[in-house]
Amino acid sequence: MKFLAVCSSGLGSSFMVHMNIDKVLKELGVTGVDVDHADLGSVARGDADTIFVGSDLADSVGGLGEVVVLDSIIDMAELRVKVRETLAAKGVEIPAGDAA
Amino acid sequence: MLNDYLTPQTVLFASDVDGWRDAIDRVARPLLDSGSITPAYVTAMTDSIAAGGTYIDLGFGIALAHSRPENGVVATGISSLRVEPAVLLNDDPAHPIDLFICLAAVDPTGHIETISELATLLSDDELRASLLAATTPDGVLSVIQRNGTQE
Repeated sequence: MKFLAVCSSGLGSSFMVHMNIDKVLKELGVTGVDVDHADLGSVARGDADTIFVGSDLADSVGGLGEVVVLDSIIDMAELRVKVRETLAAKGVEIPAGDAA
Repeated sequence: MLNDYLTPQTVLFASDVDGWRDAIDRVARPLLDSGSITPAYVTAMTDSIAAGGTYIDLGFGIALAHSRPENGVVATGISSLRVEPAVLLNDDPAHPIDLFICLAAVDPTGHIETISELATLLSDDELRASLLAATTPDGVLSVIQRNGTQE
Protein backbone atom coordinates (compact mmCIF):
# COMPACT_ATOMS: atom_id res chain seq x y z
CA MET A 1 0.00 0.00 0.00
CA LYS A 2 1.40 3.36 -0.96
CA PHE A 3 0.11 6.87 -0.30
CA LEU A 4 1.67 9.75 -2.17
CA ALA A 5 1.31 13.42 -1.25
CA VAL A 6 1.63 15.65 -4.29
CA CYS A 7 2.04 19.39 -4.79
CA SER A 8 3.37 21.56 -7.58
CA SER A 9 6.89 21.88 -6.23
CA GLY A 10 7.21 18.57 -4.41
CA LEU A 11 8.93 19.96 -1.35
CA GLY A 12 6.70 22.31 0.60
CA SER A 13 3.05 21.44 0.91
CA SER A 14 3.39 17.81 -0.16
CA PHE A 15 6.17 17.29 2.37
CA MET A 16 3.89 18.56 5.12
CA VAL A 17 1.04 16.34 4.03
CA HIS A 18 3.47 13.41 3.94
CA MET A 19 4.53 14.15 7.54
CA ASN A 20 0.95 14.53 8.67
CA ILE A 21 -0.17 11.28 7.02
CA ASP A 22 2.69 9.52 8.81
CA LYS A 23 1.47 11.05 12.05
CA VAL A 24 -2.12 9.91 11.49
CA LEU A 25 -1.03 6.38 10.56
CA LYS A 26 1.03 6.25 13.75
CA GLU A 27 -1.93 7.42 15.81
CA LEU A 28 -4.08 4.76 14.23
CA GLY A 29 -1.42 2.10 14.77
CA VAL A 30 -1.42 1.26 11.08
CA THR A 31 1.77 -0.18 9.64
CA GLY A 32 2.68 -1.37 6.18
CA VAL A 33 1.60 1.79 4.40
CA ASP A 34 4.41 3.44 2.49
CA VAL A 35 4.12 7.26 2.39
CA ASP A 36 6.07 9.56 0.12
CA HIS A 37 5.77 12.96 -1.53
CA ALA A 38 6.46 14.22 -5.02
CA ASP A 39 5.91 17.07 -7.41
CA LEU A 40 3.07 16.92 -9.87
CA GLY A 41 5.35 16.67 -12.91
CA SER A 42 7.08 13.51 -11.75
CA VAL A 43 4.02 11.45 -10.83
CA ALA A 44 2.85 8.75 -13.19
CA ARG A 45 -0.28 6.67 -13.08
CA GLY A 46 0.29 3.67 -10.86
CA ASP A 47 2.93 5.33 -8.68
CA ALA A 48 0.69 5.05 -5.63
CA ASP A 49 -2.54 3.46 -4.46
CA THR A 50 -3.87 6.81 -3.36
CA ILE A 51 -2.70 10.33 -4.10
CA PHE A 52 -3.32 13.15 -1.60
CA VAL A 53 -3.47 16.70 -2.96
CA GLY A 54 -4.62 20.16 -1.96
CA SER A 55 -7.83 21.34 -3.55
CA ASP A 56 -6.00 23.47 -6.12
CA LEU A 57 -4.53 20.39 -7.77
CA ALA A 58 -7.77 18.43 -7.73
CA ASP A 59 -8.30 18.90 -11.45
CA SER A 60 -4.67 18.22 -12.37
CA VAL A 61 -4.34 14.72 -10.96
CA GLY A 62 -7.47 13.14 -12.34
CA GLY A 63 -5.64 10.74 -14.64
CA LEU A 64 -3.15 9.56 -12.03
CA GLY A 65 -5.36 7.17 -10.09
CA GLU A 66 -7.35 7.36 -6.90
CA VAL A 67 -7.18 10.85 -5.44
CA VAL A 68 -8.03 12.30 -2.04
CA VAL A 69 -8.50 16.07 -2.10
CA LEU A 70 -7.68 18.03 1.06
CA ASP A 71 -9.42 21.36 1.70
CA SER A 72 -6.57 22.36 4.00
CA ILE A 73 -3.26 20.56 4.11
CA ILE A 74 -2.63 21.49 7.75
CA ASP A 75 -6.03 20.44 9.08
CA MET A 76 -5.26 17.28 11.05
CA ALA A 77 -8.95 16.67 11.79
CA GLU A 78 -9.78 16.58 8.09
CA LEU A 79 -6.75 14.42 7.34
CA ARG A 80 -7.63 11.92 10.08
CA VAL A 81 -11.11 11.47 8.62
CA LYS A 82 -9.87 11.10 5.06
CA VAL A 83 -6.99 8.75 5.88
CA ARG A 84 -9.36 6.55 7.89
CA GLU A 85 -11.88 6.52 5.06
CA THR A 86 -9.18 5.58 2.60
CA LEU A 87 -7.83 2.78 4.80
CA ALA A 88 -11.35 1.47 5.39
CA ALA A 89 -12.12 1.50 1.68
CA LYS A 90 -8.97 -0.52 1.05
CA GLY A 91 -9.75 -2.99 3.79
CA VAL A 92 -6.73 -2.04 5.89
CA GLU A 93 -7.15 -2.96 9.53
CA ILE A 94 -6.98 0.02 11.91
CA PRO A 95 -5.68 -1.23 15.29
CA ALA A 96 -6.46 2.00 17.14
CA GLY A 97 -9.63 2.59 15.14
CA ASP A 98 -11.93 2.98 18.11
CA ALA A 99 -9.60 5.10 20.20
CA ALA A 100 -8.55 7.69 17.64
CA MET B 1 15.55 23.57 14.01
CA LEU B 2 12.94 26.13 13.14
CA ASN B 3 14.31 28.73 15.54
CA ASP B 4 17.63 28.61 13.73
CA TYR B 5 15.79 30.17 10.79
CA LEU B 6 12.91 32.14 12.28
CA THR B 7 14.60 34.90 14.26
CA PRO B 8 13.83 38.53 15.16
CA GLN B 9 15.39 39.37 11.77
CA THR B 10 13.18 37.06 9.72
CA VAL B 11 9.85 37.34 11.57
CA LEU B 12 8.08 40.37 10.12
CA PHE B 13 4.82 42.25 10.63
CA ALA B 14 3.16 44.77 8.34
CA SER B 15 -0.07 46.69 8.18
CA ASP B 16 0.59 48.50 4.91
CA VAL B 17 1.01 45.66 2.43
CA ASP B 18 -0.06 46.52 -1.10
CA GLY B 19 -1.40 43.26 -2.46
CA TRP B 20 0.00 39.76 -2.65
CA ARG B 21 3.01 40.61 -4.82
CA ASP B 22 4.15 43.14 -2.24
CA ALA B 23 3.60 40.52 0.48
CA ILE B 24 5.82 38.02 -1.37
CA ASP B 25 8.49 40.68 -1.94
CA ARG B 26 8.47 41.63 1.72
CA VAL B 27 8.46 38.15 3.21
CA ALA B 28 11.35 37.19 0.91
CA ARG B 29 13.41 40.28 1.67
CA PRO B 30 15.26 38.99 4.77
CA LEU B 31 16.28 35.88 2.83
CA LEU B 32 17.39 38.01 -0.08
CA ASP B 33 19.36 40.29 2.23
CA SER B 34 21.08 37.38 3.96
CA GLY B 35 21.99 35.77 0.62
CA SER B 36 19.85 32.70 1.25
CA ILE B 37 18.03 33.27 -2.05
CA THR B 38 18.64 35.17 -5.25
CA PRO B 39 16.12 37.58 -6.83
CA ALA B 40 15.24 34.75 -9.25
CA TYR B 41 13.64 32.84 -6.38
CA VAL B 42 11.29 35.73 -5.63
CA THR B 43 10.36 35.89 -9.31
CA ALA B 44 9.79 32.13 -9.39
CA MET B 45 7.46 32.26 -6.37
CA THR B 46 5.55 35.21 -7.79
CA ASP B 47 5.25 33.64 -11.23
CA SER B 48 3.96 30.34 -9.88
CA ILE B 49 1.31 32.09 -7.80
CA ALA B 50 0.30 34.28 -10.75
CA ALA B 51 0.01 31.11 -12.85
CA GLY B 52 -2.66 29.86 -10.48
CA GLY B 53 -0.43 28.45 -7.79
CA THR B 54 -2.70 29.19 -4.89
CA TYR B 55 -1.64 25.73 -3.68
CA ILE B 56 0.65 27.60 -1.33
CA ASP B 57 -2.52 28.45 0.64
CA LEU B 58 -2.29 25.89 3.44
CA GLY B 59 -5.63 26.84 4.93
CA PHE B 60 -6.44 28.82 8.09
CA GLY B 61 -5.14 31.98 6.42
CA ILE B 62 -1.57 30.72 6.16
CA ALA B 63 0.41 30.63 2.92
CA LEU B 64 3.71 28.81 2.44
CA ALA B 65 5.48 30.69 -0.33
CA HIS B 66 8.15 28.53 -1.93
CA SER B 67 9.60 27.33 -5.19
CA ARG B 68 12.04 24.67 -6.21
CA PRO B 69 15.67 24.70 -4.99
CA GLU B 70 17.09 25.18 -8.48
CA ASN B 71 15.13 28.42 -8.86
CA GLY B 72 17.53 30.41 -6.74
CA VAL B 73 18.12 28.88 -3.33
CA VAL B 74 21.67 29.42 -2.06
CA ALA B 75 21.16 28.31 1.54
CA THR B 76 18.14 27.08 3.41
CA GLY B 77 16.11 29.86 4.96
CA ILE B 78 12.67 30.56 6.38
CA SER B 79 10.97 33.88 7.02
CA SER B 80 7.47 35.00 7.94
CA LEU B 81 5.26 38.02 7.47
CA ARG B 82 2.06 38.61 9.42
CA VAL B 83 -0.16 41.00 7.49
CA GLU B 84 -3.05 43.07 8.76
CA PRO B 85 -5.52 43.25 7.08
CA ALA B 86 -5.50 39.97 5.18
CA VAL B 87 -4.12 39.94 1.63
CA LEU B 88 -5.88 38.07 -1.20
CA LEU B 89 -3.51 35.58 -2.74
CA ASN B 90 -3.50 36.05 -6.51
CA ASP B 91 -6.31 38.59 -5.88
CA ASP B 92 -8.58 35.59 -5.35
CA PRO B 93 -11.33 36.17 -2.74
CA ALA B 94 -11.20 32.43 -1.96
CA HIS B 95 -7.64 32.80 -0.63
CA PRO B 96 -7.34 35.50 2.06
CA ILE B 97 -3.94 35.23 3.76
CA ASP B 98 -2.99 36.53 7.22
CA LEU B 99 0.41 34.89 7.54
CA PHE B 100 2.95 34.41 4.76
CA ILE B 101 5.80 31.99 5.39
CA CYS B 102 8.62 31.90 2.89
CA LEU B 103 10.48 28.62 2.61
CA ALA B 104 13.74 28.28 0.71
CA ALA B 105 15.01 24.72 0.87
CA VAL B 106 18.37 23.93 -0.63
CA ASP B 107 17.32 20.44 -1.69
CA PRO B 108 14.02 18.55 -1.82
CA THR B 109 14.81 15.91 0.78
CA GLY B 110 17.06 17.65 3.29
CA HIS B 111 15.98 19.60 6.33
CA ILE B 112 13.38 17.01 7.17
CA GLU B 113 13.48 17.98 10.83
CA THR B 114 12.87 21.64 10.11
CA ILE B 115 9.99 21.03 7.73
CA SER B 116 8.56 18.46 10.09
CA GLU B 117 8.73 20.99 12.91
CA LEU B 118 6.98 23.54 10.72
CA ALA B 119 4.29 21.01 9.79
CA THR B 120 3.76 20.14 13.45
CA LEU B 121 3.53 23.79 14.43
CA LEU B 122 1.04 24.69 11.70
CA SER B 123 -1.06 21.54 12.09
CA ASP B 124 -1.59 21.91 15.84
CA ASP B 125 -4.84 23.81 16.45
CA GLU B 126 -3.68 25.51 19.62
CA LEU B 127 -0.18 26.43 18.45
CA ARG B 128 -1.48 27.65 15.10
CA ALA B 129 -4.01 29.91 16.85
CA SER B 130 -1.23 31.27 19.09
CA LEU B 131 0.98 31.86 16.09
CA LEU B 132 -1.74 33.83 14.30
CA ALA B 133 -2.50 35.78 17.48
CA ALA B 134 1.12 36.84 18.01
CA THR B 135 1.72 40.53 17.38
CA THR B 136 5.49 40.72 17.87
CA PRO B 137 8.51 38.69 16.74
CA ASP B 138 9.03 37.62 20.37
CA GLY B 139 5.45 36.36 20.44
CA VAL B 140 6.01 34.26 17.32
CA LEU B 141 9.34 32.95 18.60
CA SER B 142 7.86 31.91 21.93
CA VAL B 143 5.21 29.85 20.08
CA ILE B 144 7.98 28.19 18.08
CA GLN B 145 9.84 27.55 21.30
CA ARG B 146 6.77 25.89 22.85
CA ASN B 147 6.36 23.74 19.75
CA GLY B 148 10.01 22.72 19.91
CA THR B 149 9.83 21.65 23.53
CA GLN B 150 6.52 19.85 23.13
CA GLU B 151 7.81 16.75 21.42
